[in-house]
Amino acid sequence: MPAVGSDVVIAGIGETPVGRLPGWSPVEIQAAAVLAALRDAGFALSDLDGLINLDPYATPNSMFSSTLAEHLGVAPRFACTVDVGGTVTGMTMLQQAVWAIESGYCDVAACVYGENALTGRPAGAQGLHMHNLLGGEEWEEPFGLHGMVIPYALLAQRYLDLYGATDADLAAVALVTRRHALLNDNAQMRKPMTLEDYRASRLISSPLRLLDCSLVSDGGGALVLTRAGRAPQGRGRGVAIRAIGMKTTHNSVALMPDIPDLGMAAAGADAYEAAGMGPEDIQIANLHDAFTISVLVSLEALGFARPGEGGALVRSGAMDLGGRWPLNPHGGLLSQAHIGGMLHITEAVRQLRGEAGRRQVEGARRALVSGNGGIFSVCGAMILEKP
Amino acid sequence: MLDLLATPPNPTGASAPFWDACDRGELLFPRCGRCGHLFYYPRRHCPLCGDTGLGWQRMSGRGTVFSHSHVHVAFQGAAWDGQLPYTVVLVDLAEGPRMLSRLIGGDAAAVTSGDAVSVVFPRIGERRYPFFERAAAG
Repeated sequence: MPAVGSDVVIAGIGETPVGRLPGWSPVEIQAAAVLAALRDAGFALSDLDGLINLDPYATPNSMFSSTLAEHLGVAPRFACTVDVGGTVTGMTMLQQAVWAIESGYCDVAACVYGENALTGRPAGAQGLHMHNLLGGEEWEEPFGLHGMVIPYALLAQRYLDLYGATDADLAAVALVTRRHALLNDNAQMRKPMTLEDYRASRLISSPLRLLDCSLVSDGGGALVLTRAGRAPQGRGRGVAIRAIGMKTTHNSVALMPDIPDLGMAAAGADAYEAAGMGPEDIQIANLHDAFTISVLVSLEALGFARPGEGGALVRSGAMDLGGRWPLNPHGGLLSQAHIGGMLHITEAVRQLRGEAGRRQVEGARRALVSGNGGIFSVCGAMILEKP
Repeated sequence: MLDLLATPPNPTGASAPFWDACDRGELLFPRCGRCGHLFYYPRRHCPLCGDTGLGWQRMSGRGTVFSHSHVHVAFQGAAWDGQLPYTVVLVDLAEGPRMLSRLIGGDAAAVTSGDAVSVVFPRIGERRYPFFERAAAG
């Protein structure tokens, strides 16, 4: 059941600076994010008895929850490391935290991810330098496919062919997230972007250009969960998780369903049904944007736009601040930083508390956060609500 | 373009017949002996019904392009600089299954989705690889 019926809430959020953090290790970054989230909720380090994290992609570690617990100086009753895929992992961490608290394993749980993917990668690395294997290597590497850009390029070309969309549709996503990042002091990209800038950026894997691709980032994000009213400073501020929907359909791009059948539609339908809501009940859309194409596909799968009309919706201004469904007010993976989607969730919480400053979405009561891992291989949709 | 490069596969006992067939210039896909499901990539069981009684079917090698991308960055390392740009394709085989491959030939840059393609087996190092070329017009 995707419904979250309990009184477990997100009581605290923590973010480190993003961009370049030279001299920081992954565990140090994760610890800093957890400490910030505990402070935000009003908890002491000693209150923490649940710990859920994801180990770094650039330098994979086993047993990383115990690595982090020891580094923090805590001895949690529940700890685990979760790797579901990409930006869905954050939602699965929240699921684990809710279930652990509901079942009595812990009272105060932190969910965290962070690493130094930018400064920690080898010289000469192209994009995110993942050391993890994904299991499809035998059917991809001999044919020249390596990393995540080429699969998303194949998805983007299919989208253009299926709907007659153009590069202006992809560009619209890059442009709106950049406009939003300019309002975020903790964003990697601080220069305005024009359509000409977009079209002048180099092709990486056609039709995707450099400015279609998300950032490689150092940084971390954490969430602290507990029962409503339990957090000293969290009383009345906790943000509720109304529903989480998920769907896993495949792993490698050769087995990807066609666009109308991607798992995001099923994940969204489950989340909407469990929450008794639809897109009309949402005021903020924090959607997976590892690549511009991800947003167009997600907008359509989640009912914000009809098939093939995602680009037109973005170009209409509906996804800008002041529009009907502001998209990634923090700048997203494209223009703030790629911290595995954790900052999509921290930003949603900040917005629903009304603490987003000059990028505050007025009257925001509910946010939809989407994530996907692989090439829409695992999809997640989550609805957060202001108390 | 310089000579073709390919990162060699590391086959399992179940997938080795696929690669060995490529070395002979044949494209073989597994077919379930129980439910008849023809699928890609090779596994030790049928992903439709779970049966382990599998055989191999020789494919025509003809198909159409479902999607494609011209790759401009050497993600597999600087040794690939001379391959750029190269073309990765998703091919829908005439018999049904879809596979990922590489499109080669002088006109690969002009490919559009829906184009007819056919398999070729260039030798690269110790192996031959099931790449595709655009089919001759008509």
